[in-house]
Amino acid sequence: MYQSESVIRNHYNNINDWLDQMTSKVILEKNAEAETHFRNIGITFSTNNETARERIIPFDLIPRIFTYTEWLKLERGVIQRAKALNAFLADIYNQGEIIKANIIPKEIIYKKKSFEPSMFGFSPPRDIYSPIIGIDLVRTGPNDYFVLEDNCRTPSGVSYMLENREIMMRMFPDLFHNNRVTPIDDYPTRLLQTLMSLAPIKCENPEPVCVLLTPGPLNSAYYEHSFLSDQMGIEMVESTDLFVEGKYLYMKTVDGPKRVDVVYRRIDDDFLDPLCFNPQSVIGIPGIMDVYRTGGVNICSAPGAGIADDKAIYIYVPQMIKFYLGEQPILDNVETWNCEKEQELKFVLDNINELVVKEVDGSGGYGMLIGPKSSKSSIDEFKTKLSRNPKGYIAQPLLDLSFSPTLIKNQVEGRRVDLRPFCLIGEQAQLSSGGLTRVAMNEGSFVVNSSQGGGVKDTWVLAE
Amino acid sequence: MLSRTAEYLYWISRYMERAETTARLLDVGYRMSLFPNPSGYNNEWESVLSAAGAIEGYKNKYDTIEQRNVEDYLFFDESNPSSVYNCILNARNNALVVRTSFTPESWLAINKTYQEILNLKEKKFTKSDLPDLTEWTIEQVNLFRGSLSSLLRNDGYNFLFLGLFIERADNSARLLDVKYFVLLPKPQYVGGNIDNMQWSILLRSLSSFRAFRWAYNGNITATKIADFLVLNNNCPRSLSFCIQNIVKHLTNLTCSPEKVGRIYNNLKDLNTKIQEEKIETIVEYGLHQFVTQFIRKISSVDNEIHKEFFN
Repeated sequence: MYQSESVIRNHYNNINDWLDQMTSKVILEKNAEAETHFRNIGITFSTNNETARERIIPFDLIPRIFTYTEWLKLERGVIQRAKALNAFLADIYNQGEIIKANIIPKEIIYKKKSFEPSMFGFSPPRDIYSPIIGIDLVRTGPNDYFVLEDNCRTPSGVSYMLENREIMMRMFPDLFHNNRVTPIDDYPTRLLQTLMSLAPIKCENPEPVCVLLTPGPLNSAYYEHSFLSDQMGIEMVESTDLFVEGKYLYMKTVDGPKRVDVVYRRIDDDFLDPLCFNPQSVIGIPGIMDVYRTGGVNICSAPGAGIADDKAIYIYVPQMIKFYLGEQPILDNVETWNCEKEQELKFVLDNINELVVKEVDGSGGYGMLIGPKSSKSSIDEFKTKLSRNPKGYIAQPLLDLSFSPTLIKNQVEGRRVDLRPFCLIGEQAQLSSGGLTRVAMNEGSFVVNSSQGGGVKDTWVLAE
Repeated sequence: MLSRTAEYLYWISRYMERAETTARLLDVGYRMSLFPNPSGYNNEWESVLSAAGAIEGYKNKYDTIEQRNVEDYLFFDESNPSSVYNCILNARNNALVVRTSFTPESWLAINKTYQEILNLKEKKFTKSDLPDLTEWTIEQVNLFRGSLSSLLRNDGYNFLFLGLFIERADNSARLLDVKYFVLLPKPQYVGGNIDNMQWSILLRSLSSFRAFRWAYNGNITATKIADFLVLNNNCPRSLSFCIQNIVKHLTNLTCSPEKVGRIYNNLKDLNTKIQEEKIETIVEYGLHQFVTQFIRKISSVDNEIHKEFFN
């Protein structure tokens, strides 16, 4: 919000005035209203204990704002990246040109668990493997954006993006009269169009039947699954609702079996098909992979799409962009040391006090070390871990994430934020005009994950 | 519509209906406990428990029948599958799965109810809170029912109402079964205090106390009450009204006409009989037998609905 210590950036002026005229009583009331709203609509985490109270993510009332020009750059950069990641998947599951060109070593790809050998030689509709990509971005200066992570499997959080906006419009209608905020509520429609544009070859239906496949109510993103299927007007199914007969996939309905063309799956590869992946799995649809490979159904995202967001592959994304698109990357990667390489490991060990070390397979802000913020003993502990299993880790510099004004105990204070916008790729590639802003609610914290005290904000993109 | 969705919708309204019935029964018990009754209050609480189908479960847990325990068992107890708490919890868990199949208002109605009952459960309630709890439950169920009026009139709607009327038919019939003897014209009871009280229990628990007065002129008699609760198509809790509506929502289903046909065939005799019968004939034949048969029939229709649509 601030340009320098005390100068407010232009596009935050309205918000600043609005904040000035809010009393602490109003803030308290509005906070309570938001919390009640989120509980009532059920945008909560499930816990295993059914009767225990479900948790909600803290919601901060102050929106984060991007100007039109700021957003243009992000939009172009994210779409560019999403296209390159899909091109990469199409390449490695077919010719493997990028390996032949010695840009990415083949061991890095083919030995990964997220690489799916059964996908080899198969091309999904339009060569799109990952139609919904969430890209985690941070900002360190007026024009410095870095990509922290790509999410090519089943990125979640879009329901927060939409619900945060809904609650803001409901609580503060005047804010939206006085600011030209680009709407985002067409996201579900665009998502459905994207899915429908990815119908399998054997689909004769001009309006392909899409379903959303959920693991069920105990999944932490279950609210999002039901929210999205509701908004798209498609069935939300569990794997027991689906079955394979002949060369097609059907769902069990009160009318009898109904053919399904596109499955927007929100379950992991391992649980898709017990015949193909995890034979121990009790969930899953036996035979679905066979139907998929023979063009009877499309599965979005494609099995094996996860290789593209592997932390070891991440390092190569800028090169992918040059290789497949012939373009310069618009968004930068964070400088990353791959501990698998001896020299880089040595550098990391020598400079660990200054670095952030992450587990390659870790997520949720767990299993990481923030060097400058850690005690000597935990640093030593990580050093031992690193030396034992170097290929399990990468390291990055500690970025000075941008601050966003946040209400803490009724006072406006700066807290670090990141951003996850959602990119859709089907017949066309498009970016939601907004995203999920996560905020580290604890003072001085760099961790925005909800499991560790992170909250969320509404994210505005101002119209031109 | 997914078979699972249909099944969950059906059960959501069964649970909500059951929550209301249980709450009303508690209210009846509470009222009775305020009146002097020579035979003691416990009898009333016992018949409340039997009408709620909870007598066995209760006796497994408690040795004696006491108001406080009955209230707790019927309203909050997690081990009683028909407690108001469990009904709401189950309805909410089902709704969570099928919230896409009804309106946001319906989901909100159920989820708010759930959030509130968690709060109520945490608070320690006292005996005199019971009327508030009952009133609250009825209000919540009405909110839910009201929200259904904006639903698309599709199969989901019909499954919701099939569930509602199957549950109501069963609840009404069970209540009648527990209390059928007060409707038998035995000269020694007529006009007696106990009789009046028993009748009022029956009518109140079927939310029909005042409606009955409007529907029938003159003296209250056992036959009139029996007619009202069994055969009167204007009474929204009578057996005939429930059957009529089960038939209506069943035949309104647009999916699988042959499945609908099979269930309808099983139901149509009962429907014809109940629409044409005179209450005197039923009483002569045996109200108890009639009601028992009715309960059996409803249960077989319920089984068929499960078999045909939900498997």
